[in-house]
Amino acid sequence: MRTNKLTPYLFLLPGLIILGAFIFYPMLQAFWLSMTDYNMIADAEFVGTTNYENLFQDDLFWKTLTNTFIYLIGVVPALVIIPIFLAVLVNQKLKGIGFFRSAYYIPVVTSLVVAGIAWDWVYKENGLLNYVLDILNIISEPIHWLTSTQTAIFAVMVVTIWKGLGYYMIIYLAGLQSIPNDLYEAADIDGANWWQKVTRVTIPMLMPFVLIVTIMSSIAAMKVFEEIYIMTGGGPLHSSETLVFYIYTEAFDRLNMGYASAAGVVLFLITLVLSIINIKFMGKDNTA
Amino acid sequence: MKKKSLISLLLIIAMLVMSACGNSDDSSAKDGEKKESGGSEEATIEFWTMQLKPTFTDYIEGVIADFEKENPNIKVKWLDVPAADLSQKILTAVSSDSAPDVVNLNPTFASQLADLDALVNMDEAVAEEDQKKYVQGAWEANQINGTTFAIPWYLSTEVSLNNKAIYEEAGLDPEKDIPVTYEDAKKVAKTVKEETGKYGYFPSLDLSLVLQHMVKMGADLTNEDGTKAAFNTDAGLKAFEYFTELYQDDLIPREALTGDQRSTIDMYQAGQVATFMGSQFISQIKENAPDIYENTLPSTGITGESGKKTISVQNIVVPEQTESKEAAVKFALFLTNAENQLEFSKLTPILPSAVEALEDPYFTEAGEDAEPVDLVRIQSAAQLDESELLIKPMDNYDELRQAMYDAISEAMLGNMSPQEALDQAEAAWNEILSK
Repeated sequence: MRTNKLTPYLFLLPGLIILGAFIFYPMLQAFWLSMTDYNMIADAEFVGTTNYENLFQDDLFWKTLTNTFIYLIGVVPALVIIPIFLAVLVNQKLKGIGFFRSAYYIPVVTSLVVAGIAWDWVYKENGLLNYVLDILNIISEPIHWLTSTQTAIFAVMVVTIWKGLGYYMIIYLAGLQSIPNDLYEAADIDGANWWQKVTRVTIPMLMPFVLIVTIMSSIAAMKVFEEIYIMTGGGPLHSSETLVFYIYTEAFDRLNMGYASAAGVVLFLITLVLSIINIKFMGKDNTA
Repeated sequence: MKKKSLISLLLIIAMLVMSACGNSDDSSAKDGEKKESGGSEEATIEFWTMQLKPTFTDYIEGVIADFEKENPNIKVKWLDVPAADLSQKILTAVSSDSAPDVVNLNPTFASQLADLDALVNMDEAVAEEDQKKYVQGAWEANQINGTTFAIPWYLSTEVSLNNKAIYEEAGLDPEKDIPVTYEDAKKVAKTVKEETGKYGYFPSLDLSLVLQHMVKMGADLTNEDGTKAAFNTDAGLKAFEYFTELYQDDLIPREALTGDQRSTIDMYQAGQVATFMGSQFISQIKENAPDIYENTLPSTGITGESGKKTISVQNIVVPEQTESKEAAVKFALFLTNAENQLEFSKLTPILPSAVEALEDPYFTEAGEDAEPVDLVRIQSAAQLDESELLIKPMDNYDELRQAMYDAISEAMLGNMSPQEALDQAEAAWNEILSK
């Protein structure tokens, strides 16, 4: 039987066209724009590396970049570790476990705008959280969750984590269900307790999934925008402003498209490097 | 449970499909319709408004029907865009050479487009006698570098809303003690805080409001030709000190620094704030918090030593890219004529920019059974003559605004003294203005 060598590529073509038109072409365009002065209306004017030079001298750029890394460090470990335990919990064969699985998943499908506004109320000076803490006599003065430069970014992080838990839990759940039962039976015979089974069987077998979740949650943390836009607007005093938010304001509030593209390219490179490190560092033991 | 997740999945898909359709509407509206429209030739014009659906759907469709009846050769396609998306959408449309023909914008954003020569100059497109039909201050609000880039549509001036119940609770007399100046507001804030633990005054510092507060307190923002900052004076310092003191003494909510206007309305509706300037939200308050609405007493907007009051203008622009300029301007004039504007302002507390419409008793006489909504309208119309556009359109406006906001934040958060913060703002402004 003769197969036409072109056939597989023909099947790839529709996907490639869509990716090319909506992902790769805009990416290349952004690289080009990052070396121009462009305001969306007048023609782009080539300015070489000026945008990058200005960017690296911009204090606000460094501040938002730092905030992005703080975000990354705060959010990724939580999103990699907590969902493992949630997945183990909802992987039990219990009556009504479907309810708990859905419950943890609901934040994922909730509109971030709605969630952001609801959390805004929780965090208000006279909001739910301060009220509860006050009743429990933990605090005497309300904590300025979203209105202090020290806490705003962390308060927003909690929302990102809250919203992501269910999503990564589902990924781990799929992973858990692919672990053969024999391993647990063998562990039982060896007299392992629940904790030992989790740490010696479950987690090692989940490593490929941990890798995926790490990469996905790092990329998501690098790109965080909506929570900040809705809850703090980057404030107070840029203390919760991340790089993507900065790119957004430069591009759409100030029409500095070229400059914003340059910041976007920097963000792209950082994300790329992080992903490569993740794969090299964590993926070396398992080729899954 | 499986069923539930299935249902939610279906819902999500349905939402995606709907939003996709919504988008395709916008883009397909442009297809195959750009025809030359000299005089009597056929023309289809695309008209974008800012967040008027669904409340004003009937009104806008009525105006369009009347217009099409008068001009059978012109068809109008109407698209309503959420306020937050409008600037991005119009930019994208202009940059992809598919701009709509008539758009509702505000002067600040429109001036950015005008700066890039993207808008039709109304000094040339509109006959002089027609120009005179508009309130002068509103017409001039749409000028930058000597050209007029828009026709004014509806207006509003600043009116305070006061919660009488809180005033009484604090032992104040709502008739006499309602603040007229910033100093009054500080006194009210102190008394209300001491007596009730609530906030007496919630000044919003969102968007251009910091600059407006400073101008009202008597500071000039720039020198005559707009090349240097001019606010590092006693008046400017007073403004910085004023808000710093209120904030640090916890006399205004801390949300003043991070919240947008939503948090202001939320707190007023929750009965936690006695006075705020947000009369444009009166209909919303009536709907969401009828008890608070009943207790609301509108009063003249708070101002400083200058006595200045600000006017907000919604306008209508015609992008330079339009291929039906004549028809577009014709529609813009029709939409903003006295008759149509009067009808519009009867639906919501706004003021018309057409002089003739303003002369209607609707804006001058309060009936026996006047509600807060009516009082807001009459108060707003009464102070129209003394109101002006306090912040003239400026180049790089967004950066200037942000620099000032950052500086006053530094002072309010206690990172700098008000004078240091003012120095920082001045340096930043001088740098931006010299670009």
